[in-house]
Amino acid sequence: MATSRRTPAAAALVACGLLASACTGTDSGTDNGTGQILNVATTAEVTTWNPVKSFSTEVYYLSNVYEPLLWMNPPGSKERFRPALAERWQSSADARRWTFHLREGVTFHDGEPMNAAAVKASLEASAKDGGASFIWSALDTIETPDEHTVVLKLKSAAPVDMIASSMYGAWIVSPKALAKGEDYFAKGVDAGTGPYRVSEYQAKKRVVLKAYDKYWGGWKGERYRTVVARITAEPTAQQQMLQSGQVDYAGSLPLENVARFKKDKGYTVTECPTFQSHTAFFNTTKGPLKNVKVRQALAQAIPYDDIVKVGTEGFGARARGAVPAGAFPHDEELPQTPYDLEAARRLLTEAGYEGGKGLKLTLSYAAENAQQAKYAPLIKDSLAKVGVSVELQPILFNQQWEKAKADPATAQDIFLLMYWPTYSDAGSDNLVSLFRSSDKPFFNLSYWKDATYDKLVDEAGTHTATDQDKAAELYGKAQRRLLEQAPGAFLYDMRTPVVMNSEVKGFACNPNYSFSIPFHQLRHGAS
Amino acid sequence: MPRFLLRRLRGSLLVLLGVSAITFLLARVIPSNPALTYVGAKATPEEVERVTHALGLDQPLPVQYLSYLRNVLTGDWGTSIATKQPVLGELGDRLPATLELVGAAMAVALVLGVTLGCIAAVRPGRLIDQAVRLLSIAGVSVPAFWLGLLLQLLVFGRLGLLPPTGRIDSDLEFTAPIHSITGLNTVDALLTGNGAALASTAAHLILPALTLAAYPLGVVARMTRTSMLEALQQDHIRVGRAYGVPERTLVWRVALRNALPPTVTVLGLTAAYALTGAFFVEVVFDWPGLGQYAASGLLSLDYPAVMGVTLIGAIAYVLVNLAVDLVHARLDPRVRPA
Repeated sequence: MATSRRTPAAAALVACGLLASACTGTDSGTDNGTGQILNVATTAEVTTWNPVKSFSTEVYYLSNVYEPLLWMNPPGSKERFRPALAERWQSSADARRWTFHLREGVTFHDGEPMNAAAVKASLEASAKDGGASFIWSALDTIETPDEHTVVLKLKSAAPVDMIASSMYGAWIVSPKALAKGEDYFAKGVDAGTGPYRVSEYQAKKRVVLKAYDKYWGGWKGERYRTVVARITAEPTAQQQMLQSGQVDYAGSLPLENVARFKKDKGYTVTECPTFQSHTAFFNTTKGPLKNVKVRQALAQAIPYDDIVKVGTEGFGARARGAVPAGAFPHDEELPQTPYDLEAARRLLTEAGYEGGKGLKLTLSYAAENAQQAKYAPLIKDSLAKVGVSVELQPILFNQQWEKAKADPATAQDIFLLMYWPTYSDAGSDNLVSLFRSSDKPFFNLSYWKDATYDKLVDEAGTHTATDQDKAAELYGKAQRRLLEQAPGAFLYDMRTPVVMNSEVKGFACNPNYSFSIPFHQLRHGAS
Repeated sequence: MPRFLLRRLRGSLLVLLGVSAITFLLARVIPSNPALTYVGAKATPEEVERVTHALGLDQPLPVQYLSYLRNVLTGDWGTSIATKQPVLGELGDRLPATLELVGAAMAVALVLGVTLGCIAAVRPGRLIDQAVRLLSIAGVSVPAFWLGLLLQLLVFGRLGLLPPTGRIDSDLEFTAPIHSITGLNTVDALLTGNGAALASTAAHLILPALTLAAYPLGVVARMTRTSMLEALQQDHIRVGRAYGVPERTLVWRVALRNALPPTVTVLGLTAAYALTGAFFVEVVFDWPGLGQYAASGLLSLDYPAVMGVTLIGAIAYVLVNLAVDLVHARLDPRVRPA
C-alpha cells in the first residue's frame, strides 16, 4: 500500500523532470568543453560523398570540408576572387595558359601534403569522371613545374578563374583518397583541406562536422568547432526546431512565416540574393506555339508582379532575362516583358486566335516545388483572361523532366523550371543550356532552334576569358533575341531569407555559393 | 496448434510475395527514370545511360523482379538511389525509432482505451459515457497530421511545454549520449541510468505518441465499451451480482476477460494501421523513423527505399495478424479448430 501512495508523488516528479527538460529546451550553441556547437536544420541530403562526383545538395557540407583553388567574392566586391588553396594566379594574354601558385604548408585531413601533384590529380579526376566534368572541357594538360606551382594549358580560351571557383567539380582532394576509388567515400569519409571534417553521417538524418585542428585558416575567436546538421525536408518542422531552440539556423522555412522572425530580436533575418531563376518555357515545336506572336502574347499575359508577391512572398525579384542578377553576363539594361493583357489579346488576334479561341495548353511544374505550386494557378487565371485555357499538371520534377525530354511533339506546352548555373558564368550555362539549339532535348525545354541566337552565344563564349565586355555585349544581343522570339518567359530571380539565432554572428551572403553556408565564418555571441 | 501456426505462416508468405510483386510493378510503371535520380538532374545523357545499365534497369521486368527477389532473400534489399547506402541498413537504423513511437502509442491506446471503454460501459447513457463516445469518434475522425500540428501549436506554441520535433535534444547527443542497446532511446536511457537523456527522450515522445494513439484509442475504447456492455448483460454476471460478488470484481476480472478477444483483434489491426499512420506523424514531428524515410523516398522516387519500407510494413502486418490470431486462439479455444 505504501507503493500506491508514493506513486502520485513519483509521477509528479517524473512529470516535473520532463517538463523542466522540455521547457528548458536546448541551449543554443552549447559549449561542452569541445567548443561551441552550431545546430542547423537543412534539406540538404547527400547523394555522394565523393567530391569529384558531387553535383547535388551535398555541396552544403562539401564546401566546408573541401576547398577549391579560388573562392569567388559576392558581386560588387572590390576583388572578384579571393585566394583559397592558390595564393596567386595569372593567365596568359590569350587565356589559354593559367598559372596557380599554391599555398604552402597545407595538409589534407588524412595527413597528405597539399601540393601541385595533388591539385593536378584532383583536376584531372574532375575533368575525366566528375559530376560536372563539362566545366573543364577546355582543359588540355596540367603541368607541375615545382612543388607549389600548377600550370593549366587549355585547348581554347576559358575563364579558369571562374571555373576553378565552381561549387561543383573544382574541389582539391587528397590523392591518396582519390586512388582508393569511389567506394572509399561512400560512408562519409573525407579527404579535403577545409576547416571541417565529417565526423558522423546518418543518411537522411544528420551530418556532424568537427573542426580540423590543423586548418591553415586557424580557429581564432568563438568559432563553431562542431556543426550538427539535422536533415529534414519539412519547412514547418524546421520552423518548430528554430523556435524551440533545437537549431540555431534553419535553411528552408515556410516563406510566409519569415516575417514573424523579422520582428523577433532573438533572430536575425538576412535576405540573400541567389542565382536561382524561374522560367516558363513555351513548346515551340507544337501547334499554335510555333507562332511567335502566340508566344509573345503568352509572355505578355503572365502576371509577373503577382507571381513574385504570391510565389515568393516578396523574396523574389522580377527577372531581367535568362541570366540572374549578379551573375555574368546579367544585363541591367535589358527590357522586361510587360504584363499587358490588351497587347496579348491583340497579338492573339493577329495570330488568328481572336479571343484565344480554341487555345488549350498544358502547363507542367514540379509538385514538390512549393513556389511553383503557388504561382502556377496565377498563370492559369491570367491566361484565361485572354481566352487561353490552361490545364495544370503538377508532377514530381524527375517525372516532369523525363516526360519533357521524351518527345517534344507529345510533351507539355509550358514547362516551369527553377534553374541555377553550375558556376558563376551564366552565359556559358543558362544561355547555352536553356536556349541553344540541340537535337536531343536536355534543359532546352522550349525545343527552340534559332541559328542567329546560336551564333551569338557561341561567339560570346569565345570572348569570356579574354574580353568580358565584348562577351557581355554579344550575350546581351542574344538575350534581346530571346525576348523578341519568346521561346520562354523569365519570371523571377530568388532571394533566400537566411534566419539565424541572433547569437550567431558573422554571416555574409554570397550568391556564388547560395547552396551552402560557410560555417567557419560564423561566430558565437558578440565576438 | 502447430498445424494452425503452419497454415497461417504459409498464407503469410503468399501475402508477402504478392506485396513484393505489386510494389515492384508499381515502382517500375510510374513514369520516372531511377537512373536519373541516381546521378542527379544535371548529369549528362551518357552518365544516365551508364547508370541505367549498372542498375540493371535495361533488363526485362520479369528478370529484374526475379533478381530483386533473389537479392532480398540473401539480405540484399538494394541500394538507395538517393543516398547510395544499402536499404536494409538504413531500414535497420530507422526501425527502432518507429517501433518506439508505435509501441508508446499502442500502450497509451490500450491502457486508456480499455479503461475508458470499461468506465463508459458500466455507466451507459451517463455523462462519462457520452464523453467517451465523443472522444472515440474524434479519435478516429481527426487526421493524424492535423492533430499533430494542433498539439504542436497548443502545447509548444502557446504553452511552451514539450519539444515539438525530434527525438532528443541535439546537444545531449554530445553531452549525455545514449549508449545504444535496443535502439529504443527511452529504454536505453533507462537501462543505462542516463537521467538527462531519459527526460529529454520521454519529453520528445509525448506529443507524437499521443497523436499516433488517437485513432487506436478511439477504436479500442469503442470496441471495449460495446463488448463490455454485452458481457455485462450475460447471465453469469447477473448470477454473480445475485451472489454478492463485488461489482469491481465482476467488471474487471470477469466481464473484461470475456470482452477482450474482439478488443485484441481490433488492437492488432490498429497496431498495423499505426505503422502506416506513423508516416504522417513522423513527418510532422521530424521523427527519424521509417515513415520519414518512406516520405523522403517517395518524393525523390527512390524506389528501392520505398519497396524496402513497403516490405517491412507488409511483414509487420503479417506478424501482428499472426500474433493476434495466436492470442485470440489462446483466449478463445474455439478459434483453433477453425
